[in-house]
Amino acid sequence: MINFQLNNSPVEVDIDPDTPLLWVVRDHFKLKGSKFGCGMGLCGACTMHVNGEAVRTCILPIAAVQGAVITSIEGLGSADNLHPLQQAWVEHSVPQCGYCQSGQLMSASALLAKNRNPSDDDIEMAMNGNICRCGTYSKIKSAIKSGAEAMRSQGSMVETFDPANEKTIVKEANS
Amino acid sequence: MKKASMTRRLFLLSTGAAAAGLIVGCSTAAAKGRGYSAIAGAFEPNSFIQITPDNQVIFYLPSSEMGQGILDGLTTLIAEELRVDPRAIDVRQARLHEDYKNPESGMQGTGGSNAVRAQFLPLRQAAADTAAAIRNAAAKQLNQPLDKILLADGKVMLGDKSYSFGEFVAVAALMPVPENSPLRSPQQFDQIGRERPRLDALSKSTGTAEFGIDAEVENLYRAVVVRSPVLGAALESFDASAALKQSGVVDVVKIKSGVAVVAQSYWQARKAAASIELKWKKTELGSWSSDSIYKNFTDTLNDSSQKGLECCDEGEGDKLLDQSETVVAADYYAPYLAHATMEPLNCTVAVEGDSCKIYVGTQSVQVSAGAAVYYGDFDADKVKMHPAFLGGGFGRRSLGDDVAEAVAIAKQSGRNIQLVWSREDDMSNDFYRPASLVRMQAGVSKQGLIETWAVRRVGPNIMGHMVDAWLDVLAPDYLNKGFVDWLSKLGHPLFNRFVADASNGDGIYGDYDTPNKAVRHVTQDPGLRTGFWRSVGHSSNAFFKESFIDELALSAGIDELQFRLANMKNNPRLIEATELAASKAGWGKPLPEGHFHGLATHSSFGSAVAEIAEVSIKGTQIIVHKVTAAIHCGMVVNPGIVRDQIEGGIIYGLTAALHGEITLVDGVVQQSNFHNYPMLRMADAPEVEVHIVASQEHPEGVGEPGLPPLAPAVANAVFKASGQRLRDLPLRLS
Repeated sequence: MINFQLNNSPVEVDIDPDTPLLWVVRDHFKLKGSKFGCGMGLCGACTMHVNGEAVRTCILPIAAVQGAVITSIEGLGSADNLHPLQQAWVEHSVPQCGYCQSGQLMSASALLAKNRNPSDDDIEMAMNGNICRCGTYSKIKSAIKSGAEAMRSQGSMVETFDPANEKTIVKEANS
Repeated sequence: MKKASMTRRLFLLSTGAAAAGLIVGCSTAAAKGRGYSAIAGAFEPNSFIQITPDNQVIFYLPSSEMGQGILDGLTTLIAEELRVDPRAIDVRQARLHEDYKNPESGMQGTGGSNAVRAQFLPLRQAAADTAAAIRNAAAKQLNQPLDKILLADGKVMLGDKSYSFGEFVAVAALMPVPENSPLRSPQQFDQIGRERPRLDALSKSTGTAEFGIDAEVENLYRAVVVRSPVLGAALESFDASAALKQSGVVDVVKIKSGVAVVAQSYWQARKAAASIELKWKKTELGSWSSDSIYKNFTDTLNDSSQKGLECCDEGEGDKLLDQSETVVAADYYAPYLAHATMEPLNCTVAVEGDSCKIYVGTQSVQVSAGAAVYYGDFDADKVKMHPAFLGGGFGRRSLGDDVAEAVAIAKQSGRNIQLVWSREDDMSNDFYRPASLVRMQAGVSKQGLIETWAVRRVGPNIMGHMVDAWLDVLAPDYLNKGFVDWLSKLGHPLFNRFVADASNGDGIYGDYDTPNKAVRHVTQDPGLRTGFWRSVGHSSNAFFKESFIDELALSAGIDELQFRLANMKNNPRLIEATELAASKAGWGKPLPEGHFHGLATHSSFGSAVAEIAEVSIKGTQIIVHKVTAAIHCGMVVNPGIVRDQIEGGIIYGLTAALHGEITLVDGVVQQSNFHNYPMLRMADAPEVEVHIVASQEHPEGVGEPGLPPLAPAVANAVFKASGQRLRDLPLRLS
């Protein structure tokens, strides 16, 4: 039995320990927002936050997340409570096919949780593990900057992981 | 009919009469009646629109949304004529019904960048007639003269009173639906042409958009298929005894393409699949490698006794080539390419007795349903399609091979299954963009005008492989399967020996004012299956044509921009796009040191596009800093989406130009995942600027036309930066 936190709720699952987290979240917990793209950690479509870090979950065995804090796209925000990045994604009309965008948003939100004023290089570094076949890169970059600006000026709530207490802390982004 | 759409209008429209009769009689399209399920009390004037008494306006989207923005585009057309905010319309993907057939292709499917062009008038008419019906009903119910009743902002207006549409649907349903109601004029448009975030942006930014792979049904098992390393080889024998012992595995079944493992979870199925031992029969493809294919193409190109098929012959053809002041010749090559959609192929099948439900992201609901009928042995009226968003299409999701496998597995194992392809499955079982080797020759006058244009191409066709894949699933089910299978193989000899596959000639001769043209194609096909890849023949032909045009300009000593403009006097749209791109990019003006501009211009799918790439080189590395593009695509429905599509085509094209190459060793595809078939990533993506030529003409394609000019624009800049004329794709400096 493996226990972890998924989108701020404690969960447990009894499953082959080498099963990647992606398939557990998608097919066991039926949260379908995170996507399968390559199975080798090369495309980023499966990205979730594991203890606050952007992680490729298609190659992360479920056994490795015992006690961890996991956030998937479903935990980032919802239509009536959008994360500032999701708001920026809509305003910039970022998605085309949309398949990679959950992963893009999870990588971008992990970046902004640590750096609310990223440079182009910071953004490229953080986003280089995420492939978009439709070519939305320039819009993703613009939306990250808008989202970062919104978080700085509005003091949005952001979620960070506190390793000392092993839990997620929600606090003012500009505090 | 636009010549550019020929390749995807099925071979029947341009050629095979016998086969045409079969497909036109397609039995998989559902019977008459509306294309959707009735809702009690709703007004249902046509198969596209349904308005409920509680004022829900539902639009059934006849084209597939694969990223190109057609959900937004076609909903905007409905909103414009129905006087409703597009954001208030409930958009649902249409299921299989003949009313949803694309008016150009005659098939329910999405491709050829024609969805807005072909449906611009019919969908607006459907909405305008619906709007007129609501007005008529309101006039009758309120007992007012019709001219006092107006529609605005999704309301029925009478003076300063407003009513919802829903209040009049009961009366509207009892009155005749008007026909040929007047359409709004472009001067009146307040939705068409407006820029706003696309309608599917919210669901695709919250992880709630439903793709095929997100389907869930009760008692769902997961399936994976082990296929031959040499694509298409038949199975000789297999041993799955080890797989059957593995945890979660419930079944192993043999299907046409290989052996399927069915398990409780994807991971269990995937692990067990690795333990199956298989023996495959030898095939012709197994004797080919990329080196021998290239040599065969080269030998064929040089063997003038192989005449090939005529794609174009105008004026004196190539007879006067030697009489021109300057004659230039060069050979170019483009490799096989994979589509690599972000969402690997998948299909979910729920079987209930003799009927089934199919959940899939598909470019053609008709092809997918046909695959269920043919490969699952279901009666056509027992197949219920549940189309979803596509995680990329680019031509790949138009074949039905995903559904074919899934229904066979579900049927044999007697379970509801979700088939999921791995990235490796996807990369090595594609319908690839065909490779081609081309000899370009041209005669240019002293004044720099092209007098003769001669092309000799060698490579595989697409249509033979398409007929093979499509005829099985599109032929009426009263025909004997053996006969259909035999017939489907006839596409290969037909297109190899008798009828030129239009895609081979697409875009290789049309743009310039040459009086004498000769284009011939010699088929050499090692047997690797080929298919439609974003922009199809244009994807390689534009590279050949536009690189070669630069070679001609250079030999004539004329600036490449001026050389093109002087030779495209009969191509006003391309002139406008070219001049716009040149002025926006600052053609001829100084660039940062070490930076060079390369230009390419190309018409495809009804639109004209010019692109200017700003490039520098560092060692043998090609760095693309910026691409400035201009498109003439007629009237624009949402300018933001037009720009996105051109930028998307540029990024997709740049991935191919710098990295894309599928190679074979003994028939086995050597690329498997993104480490050896790399994609452009954010850090390497150039700045892209897209400009749109203002126009009131009928809208044309935008999903594909951005791609073809990209590779030659980069190659032309690389030549200026390095002195190396790169004539093979992908572009590699030595």
